[in-house]
Amino acid sequence: MKKLILFVATIFLLNASDAVGQCNSENLSSQCIPKLAAGFNFLKSYKIDGDGGNKDKVEYSYVFLKGTSYMINICAPSQPTDGIVVSLFDSNRNKVISSKLNDQFISAIQYPCNATGVYYIQYTFEKPSSYCGGSALGFKR
Amino acid sequence: MKVVKTVFLLALLTACGSGKNADEQAMLNSIDSTAGKGPHISEGVIDDLLQEIPSPLEISVLLKQSGKKYNVDYLNSADNIARYNNNFQKAMNLGIYGTDLGYTNIYEKNTDGIKYMSSIKGLADDLNIGQFFDLETISRLATNSKNLDSLLLITTQNFNNINHYFQTQNRSNLSVLLLTGGWLEAMHITCSVAATDPKNQELNEKIGEQKIILEKILKLLSFYKDTDSHMASLLTDLQGLEEVYKKVNITYTYKESSFVVVDGVMVIKDNSTTTVDITPEIVAEIKNISSSIRNKIIS
Repeated sequence: MKKLILFVATIFLLNASDAVGQCNSENLSSQCIPKLAAGFNFLKSYKIDGDGGNKDKVEYSYVFLKGTSYMINICAPSQPTDGIVVSLFDSNRNKVISSKLNDQFISAIQYPCNATGVYYIQYTFEKPSSYCGGSALGFKR
Repeated sequence: MKVVKTVFLLALLTACGSGKNADEQAMLNSIDSTAGKGPHISEGVIDDLLQEIPSPLEISVLLKQSGKKYNVDYLNSADNIARYNNNFQKAMNLGIYGTDLGYTNIYEKNTDGIKYMSSIKGLADDLNIGQFFDLETISRLATNSKNLDSLLLITTQNFNNINHYFQTQNRSNLSVLLLTGGWLEAMHITCSVAATDPKNQELNEKIGEQKIILEKILKLLSFYKDTDSHMASLLTDLQGLEEVYKKVNITYTYKESSFVVVDGVMVIKDNSTTTVDITPEIVAEIKNISSSIRNKIIS
């Protein structure tokens, strides 16, 4: 009976430790939606889960349309972005912008698109505490 | 006593290990027979392509902001729901109604919007995804134009959640149909508006730019052509549209961008450009073919 109790307790403890270490990127991306600037309509939320440092980048893509202004923001457990940088690349992988400015991490970028096409939204980590964050994409005309 | 302990332990482990309750399992069991007949390509590739497709809401906002009047005749009647009997029709028309709802919302035509919401809920229930629509909340938001932002947010989130859910349930085929239906309806509305103003270069270019989206949709449908006859047929129809789009040229010129930081937001100045070569005649051809495909689906 003691062995049984020990076994069950171990399973519960393992599950609990997993939960503590988990990246709740879904929650962070939800937090980002109301932080889109006024006038921007929500389009997508993105989870930024660097798997505790096992991934050096997280990437999504989206077709941006000429004449539309897009906003991408970042939410992280510690302000402003916990070392998360968002970079935008065009369909030919030319870099359009990076949200790291000298040593400053900017938490939102606004992109008034002048060229329709697929764009890559890439999140990278620079000395983060958690490799975990969320992001939202919005648009306005 | 040993047996009781063992049963207790097994029950406990099962409860810890499974994220599905009895209701969810029953629902999964009822999923249509097309599930599991997936393409020979990774779900990750399909998901990446799916997430690239822009929201039809962007087109509705463009139409409203360019001063185009609301016209309910452009839309698929919400009463047509009774015509849709199989999952292909239901998923396609769920996408179509989603675009129609977005259009009514943007123009703040709440009475029409509620009709579409009701039909959407009906189709969603049939596809076992009714849990993503809280008709009561959405109807309440729709009664006051001050709630427009919340209404748009909730409906966009609902459709995003459905797509995510389909993907996690290996039902990405339904996500593809949902997005294709939504795109086709946005095409139909835009082309119908453009037909009333054939020299409107902005609208014509917007239709021309859809060549990029069509390529994505064709790629997605091609993954299913050997396993799903409905999707294969839709692919063939859309390949007819692709033929016309071959006459449209999109030229991209890259130039390095610049930026300023305003109130903590990095505002980019995009110096790259695209130009779209398209004539009103080509737009008319695109309208004829896309509307014919769309009419086949809504009938």
